[in-house]
Amino acid sequence: MSELELSAETGHAGLMEGSPYGIPSGKLAMWCFVLSDAVTFSALLFAYGYLRVGSPDWSTPFLFSPSIVNGLVMTFVLLSSGLTMLASVEAAKAGHTAAGTRWLWATCALGALFAVLHLLEWRRMIEEGWGLFRNPTGGSTEFGAAFFCVTGLHLLHVVGGVFALAIIALGFRRGKYNRIDVEVTGIYWHFVDLVWMFVFPLVYLMNAK
Amino acid sequence: MTAGESAQSPGMKFFVAVWIGLMCIVGIEVLVTYRHPAPRVLLAWLLVLAFVEAGIALWYFMHLKYERAALAWTMLPVLAFVIFMMDQFWPDAFRMVSMRLLQR
Repeated sequence: MSELELSAETGHAGLMEGSPYGIPSGKLAMWCFVLSDAVTFSALLFAYGYLRVGSPDWSTPFLFSPSIVNGLVMTFVLLSSGLTMLASVEAAKAGHTAAGTRWLWATCALGALFAVLHLLEWRRMIEEGWGLFRNPTGGSTEFGAAFFCVTGLHLLHVVGGVFALAIIALGFRRGKYNRIDVEVTGIYWHFVDLVWMFVFPLVYLMNAK
Repeated sequence: MTAGESAQSPGMKFFVAVWIGLMCIVGIEVLVTYRHPAPRVLLAWLLVLAFVEAGIALWYFMHLKYERAALAWTMLPVLAFVIFMMDQFWPDAFRMVSMRLLQR
């Protein structure tokens, strides 16, 4: 990329001393956000582990079908959305705006599908009597609190990401956003993927019957 | 390399291969779970597999491999230190279990 193009993309920052990390400030800010969010999720997963260790009557309610199968489908959908996000970033880097936008919408759709599957799982559990402070099996009520808090925060990130992807897709198509904006959104979306790689085994598989 | 330019990425074929690898790791996690090992053993297996999966996603999907090494060297030790510090609270959780059992 020429210095002129770089200036057009980064404004005055293009005329300043280069970043020690060789990335635009927006991308560095996203990495810092990801770092802080990783700490947040780590703390939440530690709290879940702490509650589990501290509860002698912890419940393990997840049957292979429907819960683990649903979790596997959700994992497949979310990992696939990571792949479509990569395709979008690659297309944006190559200057293929239309293809980049299409892949962004595909990512958005997969993210929305993940959220729907998650909400259906929640609805099934709530109908069975699970809640933040309720356990239909008579065991520790802390299971519900931990489950809904960990998966709820992740779901919030997915829903936020879907909106962010839609906004970037609309703006990228119109030329309002550039390839770096797509890349920055991609870092966020892959982080949401990465968190699920811990949530699925620790919250679902560790509580399988 | 100027700001905004990452090193050349290897292309979609490579990323599809990584995606297949990640799905295989998820499959292994489920298989390990349904061999019903002791909870501590299962936790160890799942944590190792999750960290491998997360490392691959961070390195290739999030393009950390294609950024300057300074970025990884700034971020990862900080995260590792915070996680290490959180890891110091476990004895208190075990103490809670003991207290509850003693009360019964």
